[in-house]
Amino acid sequence: MKTRLLGIVVTAGMLAVGYVFWRSPGAPGSTTSTAAQQARGGQLVASIRAVPRSFNRLVAREQTAELLSLLTQGRLVRINRSTFELEPWLAERWEAAPDGRTFTLHLRPGVTWSDGAPFTAADVLFTLQAAFDPKTESVVAEQLTIDGKPIAAAAPDDHTVVVTYPAASGPGLRLFDALVILPRHKLEGALKDGTFANAWNSATSPAEIVGTGPFTLREYVPGQRLVLDRNPRYWRKAADGTQLPYLDRIVLQVVPDQDAELLRLQAGDIDMTQSELRPDDYVAAKRAEDQGKLKVVELGVGPDADAFWFDLKPEAWKTDPRFAFVSKREFRQAISYGVDREAFAEHVFLGAAVPVWGPITSGNKIWFSPNVLRYPPDVNKAKEMLKSIGLEDRNGNGIVEDAQGHEARFTVITQRGIGWYERGTNELRTQLARVGIALEVAPIDNGALIKRMLSADYEAIYYRPLATDLDPASNMDFWLSTGSGHFWNLPDQTSQDRKGRATQEEGPAPQEWEARIDMLMAEQASTVDLEKRKQIFNQVQKTFAENLPVLYFVAPRLYYAHNARVLGVVPSVQRPPALWNADSLSVRGGP
Amino acid sequence: MVRFLLRRLLFAALLVIAVSSGALLLTRLAPGDVTANLGAFAPPDEVARTRARFDLDRSPVAQWGGWALRASRFDFGDSFLYNRPVGGLIRAAAINTAILAVAALAVATFIGIPFGIMTGSRRGAISAAVRGVSLVCLSVPPLLTSLFFVFLASRTGWLPSGGMTSVDVVDVSWSAWLLDVLRHLPMPALALALPLAATFERLQSQAISETIHQPFVVAAMARGVTWRQLLLDHAWRASLRSMCAIYGLAIGALLSGSFVVEYVTAWPGLGRLMYEALRARDIYLVAGCAAMGGLFLAFGSVVADLLLFAADPRVREGQAA
Repeated sequence: MKTRLLGIVVTAGMLAVGYVFWRSPGAPGSTTSTAAQQARGGQLVASIRAVPRSFNRLVAREQTAELLSLLTQGRLVRINRSTFELEPWLAERWEAAPDGRTFTLHLRPGVTWSDGAPFTAADVLFTLQAAFDPKTESVVAEQLTIDGKPIAAAAPDDHTVVVTYPAASGPGLRLFDALVILPRHKLEGALKDGTFANAWNSATSPAEIVGTGPFTLREYVPGQRLVLDRNPRYWRKAADGTQLPYLDRIVLQVVPDQDAELLRLQAGDIDMTQSELRPDDYVAAKRAEDQGKLKVVELGVGPDADAFWFDLKPEAWKTDPRFAFVSKREFRQAISYGVDREAFAEHVFLGAAVPVWGPITSGNKIWFSPNVLRYPPDVNKAKEMLKSIGLEDRNGNGIVEDAQGHEARFTVITQRGIGWYERGTNELRTQLARVGIALEVAPIDNGALIKRMLSADYEAIYYRPLATDLDPASNMDFWLSTGSGHFWNLPDQTSQDRKGRATQEEGPAPQEWEARIDMLMAEQASTVDLEKRKQIFNQVQKTFAENLPVLYFVAPRLYYAHNARVLGVVPSVQRPPALWNADSLSVRGGP
Repeated sequence: MVRFLLRRLLFAALLVIAVSSGALLLTRLAPGDVTANLGAFAPPDEVARTRARFDLDRSPVAQWGGWALRASRFDFGDSFLYNRPVGGLIRAAAINTAILAVAALAVATFIGIPFGIMTGSRRGAISAAVRGVSLVCLSVPPLLTSLFFVFLASRTGWLPSGGMTSVDVVDVSWSAWLLDVLRHLPMPALALALPLAATFERLQSQAISETIHQPFVVAAMARGVTWRQLLLDHAWRASLRSMCAIYGLAIGALLSGSFVVEYVTAWPGLGRLMYEALRARDIYLVAGCAAMGGLFLAFGSVVADLLLFAADPRVREGQAA
């Protein structure tokens, strides 16, 4: 009896230990999967919608280029797309100076490029030099620029890099997640010749492209597929000592149509996609899960929500008298009260969405503040607010107008062909009709929408502008009144940095609350202490929710589906949802 | 004959110039441009560089002039989406489309023509059934046909559900590659071929039914010619005139690529390339695809003329005269 009890206790203990290992996020440099769960070998097929424009991440910003960089290259540090914590990567540890400006990074010893050349500090210095070279026209240089000045770097020895920021930076080393380290021995010539911007373009032979990532490019067939093979010199090992990556090969198959993509996923032709499920696809995916074909995972609340905004640029309305009420905060607050967010979630996202009150959703766990002004649905209150600014239905046609008879009737443009955009605008039209605001919906092509948005040639837009990063300091262009992403009131400027400083031309003076947000954002971006940054950013969110330059109604709950044979998926709300962690993925029945 | 061919070549050149120039100018004048692909809030400098690279900072006429000058040297510019010269992309896509088009045409011909002869020359339940099926195939848009085949393939696993080759086909022999392409071919080829086969069947049926009542056919019948000979040697040959015209157009249309079928079945051909280019406002790729499409249309027209020339002695006599 005692032996039996002991056996049960030991088994339970082992299970508990196993569970803890399985659940823990894993130490950098190793993964938590055991050989019993995951075997080496096999091939995974994933779909992509578009081909890469370049294999050089320093000059290409599109999603496929980022995906390829995750598969074939390494960074000094990386942001874990699941926990959003900073992890050591090619740098195994670092020390930060008390002033928050200097970081000493110690490179992981023994790392080699996929062609066998050693990885050293010289590669890091070279990459920074290339990123800041004006001829490179790098897409990551701005992210590594603080107060208009580049980050400086020095290498005391082959395995140490000291980076010095021009000023204290809130994100600190997180900025380096954007910097893919490239091989000096392969690209130094191109940098010297001034041809780095064109180096490793999509016509380059795959054999030329080397990296420190888990895979190497084997074949690229334009318009069809990319084939990546295991990098036999990859530095990372699993917790049990298994050499990573588990997979022998990843094939990225180009499937431009999302309907065809889902069908192929269901058929088992592809193992995973690079995007979350559309609300309309959830039922079909769930059915396939019940049949054992797919695994559907909830990623959580998406970090980006659909937005509805009016053009608040005074010049855009010229002499249009409606701007007199559009520019009033009470008008936008009345709209917020006029929309029943629960019904909106039900009708537009088929229930898979949660109400939101600002641009930061609960999906952004670190920066979300629940303590902002909320607008529970109340049609009467909305009408009262409209009345308080002189808008009421004087002629009984159901639409409110001002004393001069100018009706609150607007054309809202949205992207054509996206189901939830079209449903969203129609739902808004229905709900706002109850408070006396008339919307005419005009779905248009995405390119035309962006052109009209950037030229301030619209009345209202319903769209989902995506944030580049979850850290607000990386989205200064959205928050600052001088930023190029300040889309509801774009500044009149042709050139500026992402921080909105240095080179901007004079635009219209920001309103008092916008100036307050400018000041708070500048303060939080240069504050090193995370808690203090959060407090400052909470004030920003509060101010934003009170003034509502952009109205957010719901944030979608994201679901992701992948083939049930794929193991080791740690899903992320950011794209790519699964392949960000490609070295730890494996397939059942692989080899 | 030489003059005829020269005239046709001149027509082809004019068609290619008109179609590609029209495509370029329409893409330029349509709302939005290629910089939308950089994202809604791309840095202004990057947007300006991209506009300059694709001559969008010049007037449409100046842009067209520069492009036409380069195109005369067979430099069709760069693609934004693929970031490489348009010429190579179009060549590869055109070959893939040609493979699909030839297969679809063969299927449509071998189904449509015999059934057309049958329904045009006989009445009965089978003919009525064939006519019914033809009408259904003609009524169903290619989008639905393609989606149906993708759905069928994905549900049954009988055929690959898309693409031109399998993902395993890496560094394989030429014969293995060909076999793999043949496995992928039936689905898009059938999606393209069925409506075309129905068109052929309907036209052939009508042409035969009209021809078999012609006096020369009645006279042949009176001479004791067998029904089979009568149909194939007399009536069918005489009915080919109307078929040849539509056949040439079909060749041109198929070779220009089918947007829908290639897109849905992920066949990497000209139609899909054109569709992607149009969506992205990839201006030089649009113009290049249109030029190749125009070339194929002109080729189809020449083939139609040659077929007619071969099939109808009246045309030959007319040319000789």
